[in-house]
Amino acid sequence: MSRLGNRADWADDEEFDDPSALPAQQVTTNKDGTKTVVSYRFNDDGKKVKVTRRIKTTVVREHVNPQVAERRGWSKFGLEKGHAAGPSFDTTSVGENIIFRPSVNWKAQAKEEEKGGEKGGMKDQLKDKKVKCRICSGEHFTARCPFKDTMAPVEETVGAGIDGGEDGPSAGALGGGTASYVPPHLRKGAGAAGEKMGGKYEKDDLATLRVTNVSELAEEQEIRDLFERFGRVTRVFLARDRETQRAKGFAFISFADRSDAARACEKMDGFGYRHLILRVEFAKRST
Amino acid sequence: MRPILLSGHERSLNQIKFNRDGDLLFSVAKDKIVCAWWSANGERLGTYNGHQGAIWTVDVSPNTVLLATGSADNTVRLWNVKTGECLKVWDFPTAVKRVEFAPDGSKLLAVTEKRMGFLGTIVVFDIKYGEEPREQMVDQVEEPNLRITCTESKATVAGWSYLGKYIIAGHEDGSISQYDAKTGDQLENVQAHEFDHQINDLNFSADRTYFITASKDKSAKLMSSRNLAIMKTYVADTPLNTAVITPKKDYVILGGGQAAMDVTTTSARQGKFEARFYHKIFEDEIGRVRGHFGPLNTIHIHPNGTAYASGGEDGYVRVHHFDKSYFDFLYEVEREQLKK
Repeated sequence: MSRLGNRADWADDEEFDDPSALPAQQVTTNKDGTKTVVSYRFNDDGKKVKVTRRIKTTVVREHVNPQVAERRGWSKFGLEKGHAAGPSFDTTSVGENIIFRPSVNWKAQAKEEEKGGEKGGMKDQLKDKKVKCRICSGEHFTARCPFKDTMAPVEETVGAGIDGGEDGPSAGALGGGTASYVPPHLRKGAGAAGEKMGGKYEKDDLATLRVTNVSELAEEQEIRDLFERFGRVTRVFLARDRETQRAKGFAFISFADRSDAARACEKMDGFGYRHLILRVEFAKRST
Repeated sequence: MRPILLSGHERSLNQIKFNRDGDLLFSVAKDKIVCAWWSANGERLGTYNGHQGAIWTVDVSPNTVLLATGSADNTVRLWNVKTGECLKVWDFPTAVKRVEFAPDGSKLLAVTEKRMGFLGTIVVFDIKYGEEPREQMVDQVEEPNLRITCTESKATVAGWSYLGKYIIAGHEDGSISQYDAKTGDQLENVQAHEFDHQINDLNFSADRTYFITASKDKSAKLMSSRNLAIMKTYVADTPLNTAVITPKKDYVILGGGQAAMDVTTTSARQGKFEARFYHKIFEDEIGRVRGHFGPLNTIHIHPNGTAYASGGEDGYVRVHHFDKSYFDFLYEVEREQLKK
């Protein structure tokens, strides 16, 4: 309707001068019997979108008993008289799905399901698990890895560093001996450090410095440059505001060697950086 | 598989039947109506209204033209399947517990209850099939052409053997008997189930050369129609109300549960209200399908073996269309046999 109303003159045909007009739909038949349909439409932002669809047509021929086909046309009667075709909601509904899988030892299975529950399942799952080192993928605990000090873990998993030695065969303390829940920091081997954000880096707390009173405009690289003079820096963490991406005013610097860290702490404490005086101290474990 | 729940009845189901093509399903319950359903989608085609009491039994003629029902109002009624109109009413002195069309549809048997001084009987009517107009279908015989009186123990269920040669009946005392369908003479009587444990159901295989019985004695038996030899026994842990033989796969399905009067004292889990699948040959239980809230009163299987329906004391009919896993299941020996 609106299209008709907009058109002031019958002569200026929209099809020709409207740049936003959509190209016609194209249908091509492919060699393998499928059809490719290319059509255009406008999306919600008013942009033109090309839609390509490949359509395969399969003809399913079904043979129906003529008597059954004839019956299909019967009209309803009795209490259903006059009702529309199709199942009505008050008499017909669909139940929940039932998994029915016949099996020879059905009885034994049913019993196991009832008894076993989760515990048995977990044990079964872990039965043929092998110990795998996260650093070199060898068959030993991560803590015993010969490359422990030289290589980083293959994939970084949050909080996996500390209890690495213990998990594996006994599944940490997830369900090992007792059924009750044990919080992560109380689990066997978790140590006092617990599992915190930052994960694997926390283990060299001893060589980590906390730098405060850092300028908002500080860059991680600048800080790294500042501290690299004292020794190998393994990590620089500059806390940033999530929204503004500006520095929050503190950073952590981990050294490979503790003596380097001590030296840096001594020298850099009170160092002027970007109009602010840095305060450097050894990072304390947060408990 | 997702069962289709049919809730057209207000009271417990008594019998359900697929027609020979399997596209229609008929159900009767203790309320007074007969329902016809499309088995594929559970749509109700219609209801047959007219009975004055609980309907115990239903059967459809092989050509799906006539429907017979037997009721506690002491009548057998014949219905036009297509229109739902009642064509014929036969009156009896007592309730009718079972009706069944002969394999060729030319005869109908009815089992009447023993009560009020009347002995239980099995009667046989000749059935005429006039095509439309209606007058010809209404024209049916008034009197049965055969009457078998059960003097010892009343018959609870009965059916036709292969070619309509024998009438096989199950009795209240747990015995199975074989009658000549022409003369009505009793040829055999076998105490198949424990004495005094009623036979609740009797269903034939597709070719009617053997049948399965379900009894209150917690077992079902596969028996030969010819000589009533017991071929297989399926033992369950609950009284059985119904049993069927599945075509296509060598299974049998048994249904039962705590007797209706004890149901309120048991939970659904303990009540054993499940359809039990047994392997027909190895007699092992191979699985169960739960879903009903009451004992299963009746089970019937689609003639192609692709679906089964169960009716329970809870008033629901559940139609299950089998999944692939049902058809794929084979015993190790069966698999080896196939390889050869």
